[in-house]
Amino acid sequence: MTQKPVLVVEDDPIIAGVICRNLAAWGHPSLHALTGREALALEREGAVGAIILDRMLPDIGGIEILSQWRASGCNTPVLMLSALGSVQDRVEGLKAGADDYLTKPFDDAELEARLAAICRRNQRKGDDLAVGRLRLDNAAHRAFLGDAGIDLNRKQFSMLAYLMRHADRVVTRAMLLENVWGYAFDPATNIVESNLSRLRGRLQALGCDAVETLRGEGYVLRSAKCGA
Amino acid sequence: MTFLAQPRIGRLAGQFGLAFALAMAGAGALLYWQARAQIDDEVETSLRREQARILVPGAPQDTASIARRLSALTGGRVISDKGHMLLAADGRTIWGRIEMAPPPPGFADVSFRDGRPDWREGHALTARLSDGARLVIIEHSEAVENIHAMLPRTALILVIISIVVGSGAAWLFSALIAQRLARTMAAADALARGDLSQRIPDAGLDGVFAQQVAGLNRMIERMADMVHSQRQFASHLAHDLRTPLTRLRALLQADMAHTDEAGRQLLDRAERECRSIIAIFDALLRLSEIEAGRHPTAMAPLPLAPIIEDVAETMEPVIADAGSRLEMGTLFPATVRGDVGLVHQLLVNLLDNVALHTPAQTCATIGLSIAGDEAIITIADNGPGIAEAQRDRVMQPFERGTASNRPGSGLGLAIADAIMRFHDGSLELADNGPGLAVRLRFPLLTAGMTTF
Repeated sequence: MTQKPVLVVEDDPIIAGVICRNLAAWGHPSLHALTGREALALEREGAVGAIILDRMLPDIGGIEILSQWRASGCNTPVLMLSALGSVQDRVEGLKAGADDYLTKPFDDAELEARLAAICRRNQRKGDDLAVGRLRLDNAAHRAFLGDAGIDLNRKQFSMLAYLMRHADRVVTRAMLLENVWGYAFDPATNIVESNLSRLRGRLQALGCDAVETLRGEGYVLRSAKCGA
Repeated sequence: MTFLAQPRIGRLAGQFGLAFALAMAGAGALLYWQARAQIDDEVETSLRREQARILVPGAPQDTASIARRLSALTGGRVISDKGHMLLAADGRTIWGRIEMAPPPPGFADVSFRDGRPDWREGHALTARLSDGARLVIIEHSEAVENIHAMLPRTALILVIISIVVGSGAAWLFSALIAQRLARTMAAADALARGDLSQRIPDAGLDGVFAQQVAGLNRMIERMADMVHSQRQFASHLAHDLRTPLTRLRALLQADMAHTDEAGRQLLDRAERECRSIIAIFDALLRLSEIEAGRHPTAMAPLPLAPIIEDVAETMEPVIADAGSRLEMGTLFPATVRGDVGLVHQLLVNLLDNVALHTPAQTCATIGLSIAGDEAIITIADNGPGIAEAQRDRVMQPFERGTASNRPGSGLGLAIADAIMRFHDGSLELADNGPGLAVRLRFPLLTAGMTTF
C-alpha cells in the first residue's frame, strides 16, 4: 500500500507491540511513539504514510494532536483508536479530521482492512463504477456484466458499490455496517451475512462469482473474477 | 401548557362554590332567626304594655268593666296596629270585631281577620279574667310578614352570589396554583427526558411555594450529582475494561500463530467469548447513553414509512435465513420528531428478536397506522408470543423470556424501550392471538404526505 512507515501512537506497550508486529507481517515498516509529544516530533521530522493514533495519551490528547496536524496542513490519513466508543466520541474524532475511527478492543483484520481503506480513500470515486466487465449503473440501480444486467435493491447496490470501490481489498463486517447502513450500533443478527448472500446470489445469476468470504476477516471482491 | 387541560381544577372550583353557598345559606338562616327573635321580643313588650294599660291594677277586673274601659280607650274602633277582643268563657265574642280562633292564655301566634277579606298573621297576648272571660290583644306582625315576603328572593340572590363568588374565587385560586405548578411540571418533563440541567424557576414565589421549589431543586441537584457520577463511572469503566480486553485479544491472536490445532481451537473459543463480553458491554453503554438523553444527533421531523421500508429491506433476508417470513403491512404516511439513527436501531432490534426468538415458519408483519395524535408502528408475529405475566419482566435489562440460553445481549428490548421513552413515546407488548404484537407509539407531528 505504501512504502512510507506507519506511525503508531499508543501508550500501552502490549497493544503497540501487537500493532507493530502485525504491520510488519503485512509488509509495512512502522514507527512507534509512546506520547503525544513524540508523535508530533516524528510526524514533523519525516513524512509517514499513515498514522494510527490512540485517543487517550498521557500528555497531549489524540484529538488535540490531530487538530494541530490538520491545522498545519498535514493530510496524512489518520485512523483513530479509542476505548471511547459512543456515537458522540466517534463524531468528535471524525470532526477533528480522522479518516476512520476504530473502537478498542479491535480485531487485527479489522485494523488492516481499515488502514488499507483510508490509504486509498481518494482513489476510486465516481458515480458509475466498473471493475473488469462488472459495471454499476447508479441511476437505474442495476449491475451489468457486459450486456447482461440485473436489478439490485438499495442495500445490495450499496454493498456492491462499496466492495467494488475496495476491489481486491478486505472489507470487514463492521465497515459494511458503517458505510452501507450507517449503523453505529452492532446488531445481534447477521445483517451483513444475510444481505451479502442475497447479493452473491444475484451476481451468480449474472454469471459473476467475484465476492469471496474470508473467514474471521471479512469479504473481498476479486477483480480477476469480474470477467476478462 | 398542561394546566389548561386539567378537569380537576374545574371540579375543585365547583366544590368550593357549593361549600361557599352552603355556608352563606347557614349564615342567612341564623340572621333570619335572630331578626325574628328580636321582632317577637319587641312585639311582646308592646303587648304587655298594652295589657297593663287595660287591666289597670286596683281597678275592677270584671268583664263588663273591661268592656267599658276598652270602649273608652278605643272608641270602639281599631285605631292602632293592635286589636282587642273580649271573649266569654264559652268562646262567644263579648266585645270586638275580630274573627279568630280563641287562643290559649299567654303569648301565641294567631291568624285573624278584622273586617278585611284576607287573613293576617299576628301575635296575641291572652289574659284570663276573674269571671272566666278572656282578654285578647293582637298585634299585626307586619315586620314578620315583610321578612317572609322578602325571604325567597333574598335567599335566591344570596345563593347565586355565593355560588358565583365562591366558584370564581376557587377557580382563580386554583388557576394561580396551576400556573405555578405548570412551571414545575415543565421542568419535571424536561428532567424526565433526561435534561438534568433543568431547575424549577422560583422567581415570584413565596411561602410554601418557594419552600417546595427549593426542596425540589435540592432533590434534582442531588439526583444530577448521582447521575453524573454514574456516567463518569460508566465512561471510566469503558476505558478501564476496554484496554485490558484489547490486550487480551491481542495476546490471544498473537498466540494463535505459535500453537497446534487443539490449542488454536481453544484460543478461538476464548476469543469468541471475549467478543461476546465486548458486545454485551457495548450494548450496556449504548443503553446508558440513550437513557441519559445525551445522544448527540439532533431531533428532526422524520417520516416513518421510508425508514420502515429501509429496515424491512435489510431485515427481510435475515428473517428469511432464520426460516421465517417478513411481510409489509399498510404504511400510512406519518411524520414524528425523532432521531433517525435511534429509530433504525429500534426497528432492527425488534426484527432481530423475530429472527432470534421465534421458531421457523413464523410470519411477522410490520405496519404503520395513526390513532388520534399518535403514530403507531406495529410489529406482529404468529409465533409463541410472550405470556402476559412475563411481559414486564422481558423489558428489563438482561431478561430474555423463558429461554435464557438464547443469543443476544439480553438488552435488545430494554434498548428499544429506552429509545421509545427518548422519543416521548411508549413500547407496548400485546397478545396477537396467537403471537406477539409490539406496538411503538410516537407522538404524531404530521399525518399524510409531507414535503420535508
